[in-house]
Amino acid sequence: MLTAADDDSRLAEKLVEALYRPDGSRALRPVHALGIGATGTFVASQIASDFCVAEHFSGEPIATTVRFSNGSGCATAHDGWSDVRGMATRFHLADAAATDLVAMTLPEFFTATPEAFLDFAVAARPAPYKGESVWGKLRALLRLELPLRNPYPGETISPDSGAIAFADDHPNARLAVFGAAAIGAPLSYVRASYHAVHTFVVTGKDGTRRHVRFSWQPIAGVANTNKSETPVDSYLSAELRTRLEKGSDRFSLVMTIGETGDAFDDPTRPWPPHRVRIAMGTMTIEAVADDQAEASERLSFNPWLLVHGIEASDDPVLRVRKEAYKISSARRGGAPCPFAGV
Amino acid sequence: MSLESRFGRYVDALPEKAWFKFLATHVVVPYWNWGDPKPKLPGGPRPSTQPSENVQRMMNLVMPLADTSSLGRAKAVMAIAQNAEEIFAGLDNVGTVHTARFVILEDNLCMISVYDGDFSNYIRDFIETIGSVFDDVMSLVKGGEVLIPTAQNVDAFIDWVHEHDLFQAPDFPTELFALQDERAGRKRGTPHELRSLPRELILQLQANRNLSLGGGYRAYPGVSAAQVRSRFGMGW
Repeated sequence: MLTAADDDSRLAEKLVEALYRPDGSRALRPVHALGIGATGTFVASQIASDFCVAEHFSGEPIATTVRFSNGSGCATAHDGWSDVRGMATRFHLADAAATDLVAMTLPEFFTATPEAFLDFAVAARPAPYKGESVWGKLRALLRLELPLRNPYPGETISPDSGAIAFADDHPNARLAVFGAAAIGAPLSYVRASYHAVHTFVVTGKDGTRRHVRFSWQPIAGVANTNKSETPVDSYLSAELRTRLEKGSDRFSLVMTIGETGDAFDDPTRPWPPHRVRIAMGTMTIEAVADDQAEASERLSFNPWLLVHGIEASDDPVLRVRKEAYKISSARRGGAPCPFAGV
Repeated sequence: MSLESRFGRYVDALPEKAWFKFLATHVVVPYWNWGDPKPKLPGGPRPSTQPSENVQRMMNLVMPLADTSSLGRAKAVMAIAQNAEEIFAGLDNVGTVHTARFVILEDNLCMISVYDGDFSNYIRDFIETIGSVFDDVMSLVKGGEVLIPTAQNVDAFIDWVHEHDLFQAPDFPTELFALQDERAGRKRGTPHELRSLPRELILQLQANRNLSLGGGYRAYPGVSAAQVRSRFGMGW
């Protein structure tokens, strides 16, 4: 008899397969293929434990491993292309325990269910891309529409057209597709905001359970490259190395508390920006990890690696991520996923 | 560089060319506005039952002055300045206002405020406490004389304020489709081409010439003026 976990596993297999790009590599992740690992320390704020009793919010310094990445599954670096970026953080706790927080620069997800995400992944599979013809651009301008962007130098395939067509038919996907199209390229991995997107349930000191979403806000401020200039293919890793050789950089962790009526189980719907926000702590990024294979490429994060005080919500996309990350890790021969064999 | 690629670069730069801007402003936009005019979207915050949507709500009331000369604008300044004490006392009495200020912006007298609770009751409380000030103000505002005395035309005054409160653009850009659908009586989730969003915005700005961009930033979201005063022991 098939269980829900079996269903998730099958769906996750299909998802992982659908996400590989023709210009990607099976030795890398299907998305967020290229990145750089760094080490840091997280210190919770004085009020964090009032809202969440998880160990990393106790106020003691917690060692962290962070992987910054480009969202694309392309195996060649195109840092300067407009793309979602990732920031996966592992908090190293006592007794070799750990918890992960997986975040990206897009504040919302493309679909509300994993089944729809599979449809999206298929629809947005990179296809030959030439941008728009001159006549197409003229037509768009006369229709008061934005013409499709010109291909970047060397760009031959793109998910853009498929993603836009999907969003035309799926209102839930509009915001994320629109956001992804306009997201640009950060000046530095530490000059972008990152959002965990999914809802989690945290338990406070007094036992109160709250639906929350987490975001990392860069102390250095958000800044993008000038999109009218020719994009540089590879600069983000070198920039981070240079930056951290001179000193450290910080992110503050902000926890937004949802209210009844907010979308707790739907990652396509961001919460209004005037929900109560709690300053949960600060992470200092201190150094680029010496062993990039271990601290970045082989490392297997999983948003379900949680500890007492934090639970996953009923978000079905979050649910299937547990299996998808496990499968992706096994396929590329990563360090065993925390849920390998489970 | 080939002729085609030179033409392509020229087309890419078209939105910044003076002649194309002129064509777009005087021909293309009016053409689309003729074929697909947008109804004006209502001003002020949208109704919600959620707690943090009902505190620290923004009002951007734009009142066109009847006399836009410097003499007329000076009269508006005097109407506020001479009633400052009454206004401040009234705001204290209303008790749900975080901040409020008057601004003269070109030919308009604007009241910018942040308040808690229901819009109609906010205005009702205001008229109850400083109706005479609003009578002075309305005597200087285009079409305002019919609402004087405001204390005896409360509902009409509320409608007028609502009409002159700026439309608050959604915090998430694609929500514009839903607001337009709702206004036009179309069901939520009606399909729209994503690429048409710039056109929808341009046409909406024909109907709502001025607007507030998003719901604004709040340093202490979800908290009422009464809670802040209570927490700091300032009472009312």
